[in-house]
Parts: sequence; C-alpha cells; structure tokens
Amino acid sequence: MIELQQLTKKYGDKVAVDGISATVRPGVVTGFLGPNGAGKSTTMRMIVGLDRPTSGTALVNGRPYAASRAPLAEVGALLDAKAADGGRTARNHLLALGATVGIGKRRVDEVLASVGLTEVAHKSAGSFSLGMGQRLGIAAALLADPEVLILDEPVNGLDLDGIQWIRALLTELADEGRTVLLSSHLMSEMQLVADHLLVIGQGRILADTSIEGFIEESSGGSRVVVASPDAGALARLLTGDGVVLTTREPGRFEVRDLTAAEIGDVAAEHGLRIHELTPVTASLESAYLELTRDRVEFTATAQHPARTDRTARTARPATDDTTKAA
Amino acid sequence: MTTTLEMPPRPAETTSTATPTTAHRQTLGRAIHSEWIKIRSLRSTWIGMATVVLVMIGLGSLSAAVSTGSVAAPGDGGGPLGGGGPLSTVLAGADFAVLLIGVLGSLAGAREYSSRMISATVAAVPRRWQVVAAKAIVLAAVVIPTALIGVMGAFGAGMGILSASDAATVALTDDGVLRSVLGMAGYVTAIALLGLGLGILLRSTAGSIGAVVGGIMVLPTVAGALLPDSWDTVLRFLPSSAASSFTTVMSAGDSTLSAGAGVAVLAAWVAAALGAAAFAITRRDV
Repeated sequence: MIELQQLTKKYGDKVAVDGISATVRPGVVTGFLGPNGAGKSTTMRMIVGLDRPTSGTALVNGRPYAASRAPLAEVGALLDAKAADGGRTARNHLLALGATVGIGKRRVDEVLASVGLTEVAHKSAGSFSLGMGQRLGIAAALLADPEVLILDEPVNGLDLDGIQWIRALLTELADEGRTVLLSSHLMSEMQLVADHLLVIGQGRILADTSIEGFIEESSGGSRVVVASPDAGALARLLTGDGVVLTTREPGRFEVRDLTAAEIGDVAAEHGLRIHELTPVTASLESAYLELTRDRVEFTATAQHPARTDRTARTARPATDDTTKAA
Repeated sequence: MTTTLEMPPRPAETTSTATPTTAHRQTLGRAIHSEWIKIRSLRSTWIGMATVVLVMIGLGSLSAAVSTGSVAAPGDGGGPLGGGGPLSTVLAGADFAVLLIGVLGSLAGAREYSSRMISATVAAVPRRWQVVAAKAIVLAAVVIPTALIGVMGAFGAGMGILSASDAATVALTDDGVLRSVLGMAGYVTAIALLGLGLGILLRSTAGSIGAVVGGIMVLPTVAGALLPDSWDTVLRFLPSSAASSFTTVMSAGDSTLSAGAGVAVLAAWVAAALGAAAFAITRRDV
C-alpha cells in the first residue's frame, strides 16, 4: 500500500509534482501514466526517499520509507537501471545491496537465476547491454522479496522474451497480494498488464481509475468510422442529440455515441450508400492522448474556463489519429 | 562481521520464490558489511592500495640508494633527524603516497555519484548518515593496514639499504622515530578520509580530487609564498602543516604546533569533512 498525501515537489519556481493525493492498493498492478516531465519519476523517487518532498508525504505501508526496519524488504524499486557500478560484477552488486538487510549468497544466486543472469553473474555490470542492465535492476528490486514494487519503465530495453517474462511476473506479484506500481510510456504494454491507472499530467493526477473505466470515460464513448459518397447527406441525418461528428477527410467521418447498426439503418432508410462502417474500439493510447491533450488545451485556454469539453471536441479540427487503434 | 546479532526472522509470508527470504533489520553493522563488499569487489581498490605501498617502499628505497651514493660517509656529527636525515630519506615516498591516497579517497566518495550507484545505495540505507559512516569505517580499515605496510616497508627497506652502505641509520626505538613512522601512516589515513568526505560532499570525482590535491600540495606552498608572515599562524592549521608536526618529515612549511595539537587539528579536518558529507547527503536529493 502506497499513500500519497498532497505530495508536492518544486524546483525553484517550477512545480514538478503539484499536491497529488492517491492510494496505490495491494493486489493489483497499478499503471502510472503520463507524458515526459509529468512528474512520474519524481513521484516515484519521493516514495523511496531519493528526493525530498517540498511538502506533503508519501507513506509506504503506513509510514515513511525512511522509517522502515528493512527498507529493501519493504519496497523494491527499479528507478534507474544504470544505478550500478560498472566495475563490479552483477553478483557482487546484488550481494552488497542484499547485505544491508542481511541477505546472502543463496538468495542472490536465486534471484540471478530468476532474471536469467546466472551465466553473466561474474561479469562486470559495465559490460551489460541495456536489457541485461534492466534485468539486473529488476533483480535488485526483487532481492529482499518486498511487499511493494515500484518500477520505472521496466520493459525499457528488454527483448520480447523479457517483456513476456516481466508481464507474467508483475501479474504474479500482484496476485500474491503485493502492491505493484509501474510506469511505462508503452501504452499498449500498460493495457496488457495494468489493472488500475494513475494518469498524471503537469504534476497533477488527471485520472485514478480502472483501466476499462479510463478508456470508456476518456474516449467519450464508442466511435464508428463511416465512409460514404453521400457523406454530406448522411451527416445531416445523423446529427442530433449528443451525437458528435468529426470529419476526417472528404467522404469520411467519425461518429460518436451511435452504433454501426444504427448508422447503417439510417442510411438504408434514406437510400444512402455506405462504403465503410467500422466500429473503433478505443485503445488506452487514444484515451490517454485525448486526456492529456485536453489537459494541454485547458491550460492554454484557461481564461475561458466556462467551455464544456464536448463542444470543444466538436470544434476541434480533425487531426485525430484514432484509426490506428486496433 | 559474523557476530552481528541476528533479528528473529520475519514470519514466512507468501513468496514468489522457492525458498522463503528472510530480510533482517537494516543496521549500521549491515551497512558496513555492504560497503565492505563494495570496496573489496572493485579491482581498483586493490590496485590503488598496492600502488600506495609500492610508491612508499619504492621511492623510499630509491631515495636511500641515491643518498648513499652521494652522502657516503656515516659521520657522527650531524643529528640523524635533521632535514636530510635517514628518516626523511626512507619516507621520501610519503609525499607522493599522500597525494595518491587523497585521490583514492576522493574516488571512494564520488565514484557512486558518477556511476549513479548512489541511488541504489541510499534506497537500501535511507538513514543516509550510515552510508557516510560505513564508507569511512571501511575505507579506514583498508587504508590503515596499507599505510602501515607502506611506512614499515619503506622504513625497513630504506634503513637496510642505508646500513648496507654504512650510512647513518635510525632505529624504531630511537626517540620520536616510531611516532613519526606511525604518524605518517595516520596522516595517510586521514587524507584518505578527507578525500572521501569531499568526494561525497562535492559529488564529483574531478572536483574532489582537485580540492584534496589543491588543499594538500598547492595551497600551503602558494599561501606561504604570497601571504604576509602574519598569516603563518593560520597556515599552521592546514592539514599538511598540522601533519608535519607529528610526522616531522613533511616539508609543508614551518609548523609550530605541538604533535598533540597537530593530531587534533588533522582529526578536526577529517571530522569536518565527514560531518559535512553526512549533513549534505542527508539533506539533499540524490
């Protein structure tokens, strides 16, 4: 369990993390999502006490991390895969870290085996590739069998095997009742592994919700892409209560809040031709882009706070790229 | 290290691994153990220490051999502890060894900042003063034997060369000789710790090496040459000048401190550097 209470970090005038409050629960994988510079890493670093909050607190299992009896057994963190001395072997690196909580050779060798580094255990960390360094960082996080895991971009540099392995591992760890918080810029990866989402933008929590709820909410309901030589006429017929149309190109538009069946029926009723009728399932990626873009727009037009989101979306030029979503 | 008190193991909880892992309380003792693993697992530690020993013994022997060639007569008139006496001859490598150990100490402090290992270290030991204390204890444990082997080796080898050529020699039992020899080992250790403190404080290998070398070698000479004589009282409190009060073979200016005061002043420098390092590492973001 991780509890953030009004957690704030300022660097001079710049606010990196702006009073965020959230609870990361055990038993699920929580994804921490946000654009570069949104404050993800800073928040994670504050949880394990690497950076000192300007105000607010971060509690791990009910107390500050620094007050923990056996810190490495409390939180296993992968924040910087390069945080190893290049002149030391992988095994000695883990032995040194483990020694702080009395963990010895047996566990170190076991963890090395579980991350697949046994063969290079006696090679210096400096000779490791990005992926191997990442595995070493994950080994360090798992070393003391912690109840809370905090992983910043864990799949970075991993090969396909490694990605599948860590996916299974994270799910298993959460199933065992551990708290798992991971950040990733790979939205598709997040969609596969995370149960819950914390979305952060400009240092504030934008969403704290289940992954399904997030996609549902942020994408503004279902969409259907329609291509028709009679696009103009069809669009006029469809526009009604709460239905939003976005023109993508001549003869092609996107409809929200109507099903493909409803659109097809209307077209048939009026004898209009349809060349394409594709329901689009919103992906996490598109939902995320939608949310963070709104965030950017909102700050850019903050002097007009009265506008509603929905009308703003209709007025937006059709630069949407949701069709690449699967 | 094996006598450290073990805490009762945590009750076995669910684990993702075959054998249950029992983590123990993080203590200063365990932080020291961790730092010991770190320092011994870097090849550069042992290369550095071997170099210090070789420099002390090698330069001392060389100096002794050269002096027997140029100053052949034993002579019984001049005092053996004079400016060019046998003791300073055989400890001729000490100046360079001190410089070297200052660099090694700085590296021991700043290295984790350049490798970014420091994040892992302070995450594992969040009561960060323990990191500084553990590093200092472990470094001292490596440097003290090194320095003792170096000075004793240099003394033995140098005096052997001198006596083989029938040149004047001194024995450890002679007045003040043992104190000077051990004092030199203590000075070497102190400079290593000073470098460590500066390395952590400045977080930069280059910066801390510059500060140590500048403070030991450059500052006393430059300040002594440029500042008016009235400053001499102040200059006596520089680390190298303080050390010369109890090593007697250092040539870093006129020291009028007593040996005891010199030890105290040097210890204060070390304590200040390590204290500042502990304060800084605790206060700032990694």
